Amino acid sequence: MFASFVQGPLVRVIPLGLILLALQRTIFVDIQVGGVIIQIMMATAAAAGVAGGSERGAVVGFTFGIMFDLAEGTPLGSTATAMTIAGVVGGLLALIAADPHWWLEAIFTALGTAAGVVTVPIVRAFIGEPEPFPPELGLVVAVCAAAGALLSPLLVPLGRWSLRMRRPEWKQPVEEPVA
Amino acid sequence: MAIYSVGRKRVILALLLTTVLLLTLDLRGNAVIDAGREGFSQVMRPVETATGVITNPIERVWAGITEYDDLEQENLALQEQVDRLIGTLAAAEAAVIEGKELQALYSLPSLSGIDTEVARVVGAAASNFDQVIEINKGTASGIEVGMAVVNQAGLVGKVTQVTRTTARVMLATDSRYKVAIKVTSSSAADDTGPTNTTPSGLTPSEVEAAGTTTTTTLPSLPGAIVPGVTLPDGSPVPDTTLPGTAVGPDGRPVLDPLTGQPLDAEQITALLDALGQTPTTAPATPDTAPSADDATPTTAPTTTTTTTTVAEVIEKEYGALEGRGRLRLPQIKYVQDSPSLSELVAGDLVETAGGSESLAPTGIPVGRVVNRADRPGSGGPLLDVELYADLGRLNFVRVVLYKPLSEVDQ
Repeated sequence: MFASFVQGPLVRVIPLGLILLALQRTIFVDIQVGGVIIQIMMATAAAAGVAGGSERGAVVGFTFGIMFDLAEGTPLGSTATAMTIAGVVGGLLALIAADPHWWLEAIFTALGTAAGVVTVPIVRAFIGEPEPFPPELGLVVAVCAAAGALLSPLLVPLGRWSLRMRRPEWKQPVEEPVA
Repeated sequence: MAIYSVGRKRVILALLLTTVLLLTLDLRGNAVIDAGREGFSQVMRPVETATGVITNPIERVWAGITEYDDLEQENLALQEQVDRLIGTLAAAEAAVIEGKELQALYSLPSLSGIDTEVARVVGAAASNFDQVIEINKGTASGIEVGMAVVNQAGLVGKVTQVTRTTARVMLATDSRYKVAIKVTSSSAADDTGPTNTTPSGLTPSEVEAAGTTTTTTLPSLPGAIVPGVTLPDGSPVPDTTLPGTAVGPDGRPVLDPLTGQPLDAEQITALLDALGQTPTTAPATPDTAPSADDATPTTAPTTTTTTTTVAEVIEKEYGALEGRGRLRLPQIKYVQDSPSLSELVAGDLVETAGGSESLAPTGIPVGRVVNRADRPGSGGPLLDVELYADLGRLNFVRVVLYKPLSEVDQ
C-alpha cells in the first residue's frame, strides 16, 4: 500500500496542492483582475485533466478541492465537487484531439476552469445557501477562464509532472514500398 | 492520450459521491472534520508564511503599478477631510459628553463597558463567492463563534470559525450573514446644520488659540430618548460608543466628527500631529489663571460659539439585516411602516437590536438606509443599507467579547 502511494500521483499532487493553495491565499488574493480572484487551483485541476484525462483530472481536482475547503473553512466537499468537475471537463474535452496544440490545450483548460467556477454556486444552492449566484458571476467565470487559458502553457506541463506522465510521442508510420 | 472507459467513469462517480458524503457530514457538524481543519491550518501556516515572504515584493510592485493614481486621489480626499475635521472636532466632543450624560441619566445601555479584543486582519477569502476575513486572535484570547466584530466605524461582521490563534470573520456583506437590527429615525435635525459654526478659513493654530464654547440645545420632550446629535456637516453622532473605544482624559469618548464613530488614541494623536498640534494641549479656558511660570504675554482669546441642535431619535422598527454579496448593499427585511409613528425612509439610521440570544449587543452602529423598495402585498418594504465600515479596507478590528444573558446563565 505504501509502495503504491509512493509510486502513485498523490505524492506529487499533495505538495503541489500545498504550494498552490499558499499562492492562492496570498498573492492571488492581492493581485485581482477586475475585482476577481484568479482561481489558480481550479485552473490547475482543469489542466491536469487536459494532460492526463478525466479520471486523473478528477483525482487532482478532488485533492485540491479538499485542501481548499479545509483551509478556507467552506463546507467540506463544496469546492472539491467543483474542482473535480473542472478536472473531468478538461479531460473530456481533451478527448477531441489526440495530440492537441498548445492553443487547444489553452481552450480546454479555460472551459474546464469555467465549468468548475460555475459549479461552485450551483453546489451552494443545493446546500441551501441564500443567494448563491452573485451578480458578477459572469465576470468571475470570464476572468478565471481567461486566466486559465493564459496560464495553461505552464499549468498543463505542471499537471503532467504531478501525474508522473510524459507528453505522448507520435511517430510517423514508415511507408513500405509497394512491390 | 487518455481513453474514456467505464472504469474511469466509476472513479469519477466515486469521487463525486465522496464529496457529497463529506458535505453531508460537515453540514451536520462533525468533530473529526473540525479537528482535521485545525490540523490542516497548522500544516499550512509555515507554507503560507514562507509563500507570503517570497511573493510580497511581487505584490508590492503590482500595487505600485495599479494603485498609484488611486493613492494620490485618496491623499487629496484625506487632506480635505482633515480640513473639515478641524472645524467640527470640538463640537463633536461636546456633543458626545452631553449624550453620555443623558445616557447615564436615563440608565440607557452603553457599549463602552464591554470588553473587546483588538485583532489584525491577516487574510481574506481566496474564493470569489465568500466575504470572509481571517484575524490573528482565537480562542486563546477569549474569542468564540458568533461574537460580533466591529471597527472604529461600526459593525463589520461576526466570528464563524475559531482556532486557538486565529478566527474567521464573516463580513456583513456575505449572503449568509444575518443580524437583528433596529431602524431609528435620523430626524429633521440631520438636514439642518448648526446655527453658528466655527468660521471657515481659520488655520489649525487659530482654531486652537480661539477658545471654543459649544452649546448644545436639547429637546424638552418628557421621556424622549436623546442619544444622538448632528454635527455641523450634517453627519450624525450615534447614541452609543463602540466597545473598546478609547476615552479622553476626562473619561469620555472622542468621536470622529465625519463618521460619528469613536476615535482611538492613535487616531487622535495622528490627527493632531497632522494639524501641527500636540495631543496634550489643553483647550483654552478663559477662567483659568495663568501659571506663575508662564511669562509669555497672552492675548484675549476669540470665542466662537457652536450651537448644535440635538436630534430627536425615534426607534421606528425592528427587523433583520441580510448580506447580499460583495457588489450589493445589505438589505433589511421584515419591517413595516408604522403610520402612527413614522415611515421608514432613506436616511434612517441602523444599529444592532441585541436581544436575549443575540451575540451582538444592542446599539452597535451598522449603517444608514440609502434606498427603499416597496413590495406588493404584506411583505413590507426592503431597505438597502450602506454600512459605515469600509469592508474593503480592513486592517485592525475589535471582537466584542459579549455573551447574551441566555448564554451566561448556562
